[in-house]
Amino acid sequence: MSDIQKELATSDLDIGEYALRLYVAGQTPKSLAAIANLRQICEDHLAGRYTIEVIDLLVTPQLAAGDQIVAVPTLVRRLPQPLKRIIGNLSDTERVIVGLDIRPKRSETI
Amino acid sequence: MTAPFESKNDPEQAGLEGLSVSELAARLREAEETIDAIRNGEVDAVVVGGPSGQQVYTLQNADRPYRVLIEQMQEGAVTLSGDGTVLYCNQCFATIIGIERENIIGHTITRFFGDAEIGTFLQLLARGLNTGASGEFVLHGAGIAAVPVNISLIDLKVDEETPRVVCCVVTDLTHSRRRTHELAAANILLGKEIEERRRAEGSLQLALDAAGMASWDLDLATRLVRRSVPHDRIFGHTRLLPAWHLETTLDQFLPEDRAAVAKAFAQASTSGAIEFEKRIRRSSDGAIRWLQVKGRTYYELGKPVRIAGIVADVTEFREIEERMRQAQKMEAVGHLTGGIAHDFNNLLTVILGNLETMQRRLGATATDLPQLRKLAEAATRGAQHAASLTQRLLAFSRHQPLDPKVLDANKLVSGMSDLLGRALGEQIAIEAVLNGDLWRTFADPNQLESAILNLAINARDAMPDGGTLTIATSNVDLDRAYANQESEVTPGSYVLIAIADTGIGMTKEVIAQAFDPFFTTKDTGQGTGLGLSQVYGFVKQSGGHAKIVSTPEAGTTVKIYLPRFAGQELPNEVEPETELPAAVPERAPARDRAETILVVDDDNDVRSHSTDIVRELGYRVIEASTGRAALEILDREPEIALLFSDVGLPGGMNGKQLADEAHRRHPHLKILFTSGYAKSAIVHDGRLDAGVQLVAKPFTFAILAKKISEMLKMDANVPTILVVEDDELVRMVAVDALELLGFRVEEAGSAREATDKFRAAPDSIQAALIDVGLPDQKGDELALTLRGIAAKLPIVIVSGYGSGIAQGPLKNETGIGFLGKPYGSTQLAAMLATVGIDAPAG
Repeated sequence: MSDIQKELATSDLDIGEYALRLYVAGQTPKSLAAIANLRQICEDHLAGRYTIEVIDLLVTPQLAAGDQIVAVPTLVRRLPQPLKRIIGNLSDTERVIVGLDIRPKRSETI
Repeated sequence: MTAPFESKNDPEQAGLEGLSVSELAARLREAEETIDAIRNGEVDAVVVGGPSGQQVYTLQNADRPYRVLIEQMQEGAVTLSGDGTVLYCNQCFATIIGIERENIIGHTITRFFGDAEIGTFLQLLARGLNTGASGEFVLHGAGIAAVPVNISLIDLKVDEETPRVVCCVVTDLTHSRRRTHELAAANILLGKEIEERRRAEGSLQLALDAAGMASWDLDLATRLVRRSVPHDRIFGHTRLLPAWHLETTLDQFLPEDRAAVAKAFAQASTSGAIEFEKRIRRSSDGAIRWLQVKGRTYYELGKPVRIAGIVADVTEFREIEERMRQAQKMEAVGHLTGGIAHDFNNLLTVILGNLETMQRRLGATATDLPQLRKLAEAATRGAQHAASLTQRLLAFSRHQPLDPKVLDANKLVSGMSDLLGRALGEQIAIEAVLNGDLWRTFADPNQLESAILNLAINARDAMPDGGTLTIATSNVDLDRAYANQESEVTPGSYVLIAIADTGIGMTKEVIAQAFDPFFTTKDTGQGTGLGLSQVYGFVKQSGGHAKIVSTPEAGTTVKIYLPRFAGQELPNEVEPETELPAAVPERAPARDRAETILVVDDDNDVRSHSTDIVRELGYRVIEASTGRAALEILDREPEIALLFSDVGLPGGMNGKQLADEAHRRHPHLKILFTSGYAKSAIVHDGRLDAGVQLVAKPFTFAILAKKISEMLKMDANVPTILVVEDDELVRMVAVDALELLGFRVEEAGSAREATDKFRAAPDSIQAALIDVGLPDQKGDELALTLRGIAAKLPIVIVSGYGSGIAQGPLKNETGIGFLGKPYGSTQLAAMLATVGIDAPAG
C-alpha cells in the first residue's frame, strides 16, 4: 500500500466522525461567506476529522426537501448523530462550535 | 445566543404528536433560531415549496457576484425579449457599439444590424426554447466603423411567469479578424516564397543538368562537400558517395594537376573566388576528362566559411574548341598560301624572267648595257616588291616594332599628295579636308603613310569607274559613352584621319571581317588581305582605334583615331617626307670652294692653263715650279687641300718624290698627278698607289674640273666602315655597296674578329655595320663592346626584323641606326648619314 492509499483509507475510516453538509444557493454573499467560514472552523478545530459536502440548491433544488431546508445557507451535521442544523453564514465561530458539539479528539480525552 | 437543536427522528416523518417535551422544546428552539437567522439577515435565500417542487429564491442583491461578473467581463452580454427588445446589456456591449447603455436598453437590437443581416438574426432568435445558436454579424453603432462580432445566444425559460429571455454573448471580432487577416496574408506570402524557392531550385537543378553541370558546397570547417548526384556522376560515380571531402575531390585529379587544384582551393579563401580547368581520371572508366570548376567564397564576420560553385565536364567542349581553332588556322593558312603564293609567284616570275634574259644577253653580247640595266632594274623592282610584302607580313605578325614620333598628320597627308595622285590615277579626284588646328599625334610616320596608302588603294579598287577620295583630319574627343559602345576603345583625345571613297561600299558581313588578316574581297592574286589588317595592327599598336563606316553602293569611310600627343614637342620633330624609306638620301652638302690648290708645273704655259681652270672652278690657287718650292709652300700654307703636280719635275725632285715627301709631312693632303706619259713613276704594276689620282695630258676643262671636284669631295679621311657579318655572300654585298659609296671597308666574320680589329686600331675605323645575328655574340652586344672602346662610334645594326632590337640593351644608346634586310645602297647611305657618316662619293 502506498502512502496515498493509506491516507485515503484512513480518511475513509474517519468519514463517520464529523460529516457536514452545507446548503447554499449559488453564489449569494451569505453562501460564499458560509463556505469560507466553515472551511476555517473545521481546519481549526476538526483537522483530519471531517468531511464537507456543499450542495447548491440552485442546481439541485430538490435536495432541499431531504434535510428540510427552509433558509439558505444552512449547515447540517449528519454525523455524529443526532442531526443538527445551523442556519446563517457561520460568522459566529463560538456558536458554530457549540452547535456542532465539537469535542476534543478521543486520544486527547482525559 | 441560540443553541443547536437535536433531532433523533427522520424529519420527514416528524410530527408533533407523541413527542416528548424536550423534543418539542428542541423543535421550538430550531424554529425560533430559523426565524432569528432570517430576521437578522443571516440568510439570503429561502427554499419555498411549490406545485412543481422546491424552489430557491435569493434575496435582493444576492446575485451581486453574477452582476459583477457580467458587468466586468470583456464580452458583450445582452438579454433580449422574444421580440428582440434589449432588456439588459453590459458596459462592454455598449462600448462595442459606441452607444450609451441608457440608449440601448428598451430599444430593439435589430437597429444595429445592416438590412441584409436583420433577417438572419431574427431567424436565429426564433429558434425556440433551450436552443443555443451563434453567428457572425456586423453591427453598426454610432460614430464608429462597422464592428464584426460573433453573437452566441440561448433562449432560456426562467419560470412560468417570466416571459422569454434570450441571453446573448457578443464577442468583438475586430482584433481577431485583423490578426486572422494578417496571419492569412503572412501564410500566403510564405506559401508563395516557398513555392518560388522550390521552383527556383527546381529550375536551377534543371538548368545545371541541361548544361551538364553540377553544384557543390564545401564547408571549410569540416572540409566536407555537400553535392548532388550529378556532381558525383561527373567524377564517374554512378551512385552518390556516402561522404565527400575536399580530399576526395583532390584525389581524383591527375597527380600533375593536383597541386594546382589544391592551391586554387587554398587561394579561394582569400581571393573570394575559384576557377580552373584541370584533368581528372574518371573513376567509372579511367578516362582522362577536363573539368571546369567555378565557385565563390562565402564569408561570415569576415571569415571564409564555405566555397560553393559548379563543376562541369568540358572535355568535349575543349575538343571542339581545339578542332575549331585548328580549322581557323587552316583557313588562315589557306588564305595565306592563296594570297601570298600568287603574289610571290608573280614577283618571282619578274625576277627570274629578267635574270634569264640578262644571262642570255650577257652570253650573246656584253655591249647592250642600257638594255641590261633595264632588265636589272626590273629584277630589282620585283625583289623590292617581294621585300615589301614580307615587311607587311611582319607588320601583320607585329614583329615589326614601331618607331613613333611626334607628327603632324596634316603635313604627312599633304606630303603624300604626289604619291597618292600617281597611285590612284586620273579617274579619281583627291580632296583633302584638313583641320587647321590639328593636334599633334604620336605614331610611326612610315606606318601611318603605309596605312593611308593601303586605304587609298583599297578606295581606288572600290571605285573602278572613278570617284572621289577624301582625306579629312580633325580633333575628336571620345567620351566614355562612345567607348562603352565600341569594344577596345579608351576614352580620350584623338586625332582622326578619315579616308572616304564614293565606291561600292561594304556589307555588314564584310565590315565585320575587314580587319581580319588574309581577308580580302579582291580576286585571288589581287590582294593579300593584309592591307587593312596592317592598318588595324598599326593603329592598335599606336594606342588608337580604327573603324569602318560603310553603306553599300554609297561608299566607305575608314576612320583612324590616333592618340593626341599632349607632351612637349620634341626638338627633332621629324618631317615625314624625309623619312620615307624610298626617299633619296640627302647628299653631303656642296662644299664651298675656298679650298686652296697648289699647282706645280715647270712648263709655264701648262701651269697657267691649269691655274686658270682651277681658279675658274672657284678654288684658291698657289703656284710652284719646282718640287722644293712646292714643299716650302706646303709647309707654309697648311690649308692646302690638294697638290696638282706634273709627274716630271726638274731640279732633282720629281713629282713622285714630291708627293711622297708631301704626304709624309701632310698625311691628309690629296694628290692629283698629270702626265704626258701614261705609265711613269707613279704607276706600279698598272695600278696607282692608294690616294693618288692621275689625269692624263692633254686634259680638258671638264675632265680636270670633274677630277678635282671628286677628289675634294672625297674627304682625305675616307671613313672606314667595319662590316661585321658571318654570311660571306651577304658581307660581300655590303662591302660592295659601301665601296660603291666611296667608303673604305674593313671586314670581320665574327664578333671576336671585329673586336680584335677595332681594338688594334680604333682610330682607323669610323663606323661599324653589324649584323644582329652573329655566331659568337649578338650584334647588339657587340655594338656595346665596341662602344666600350670608342664611346661615340656610329653603328648601324642590320636585322631581318627591321629595328627589332631597338628595345634591347641599346635602347639608351644614341647614334645607332637600324636597317632592315633586304636593303639597297640608298637605304644604307641614308642610314649611315643618320648616324653621322656621309658617303664620300655618290
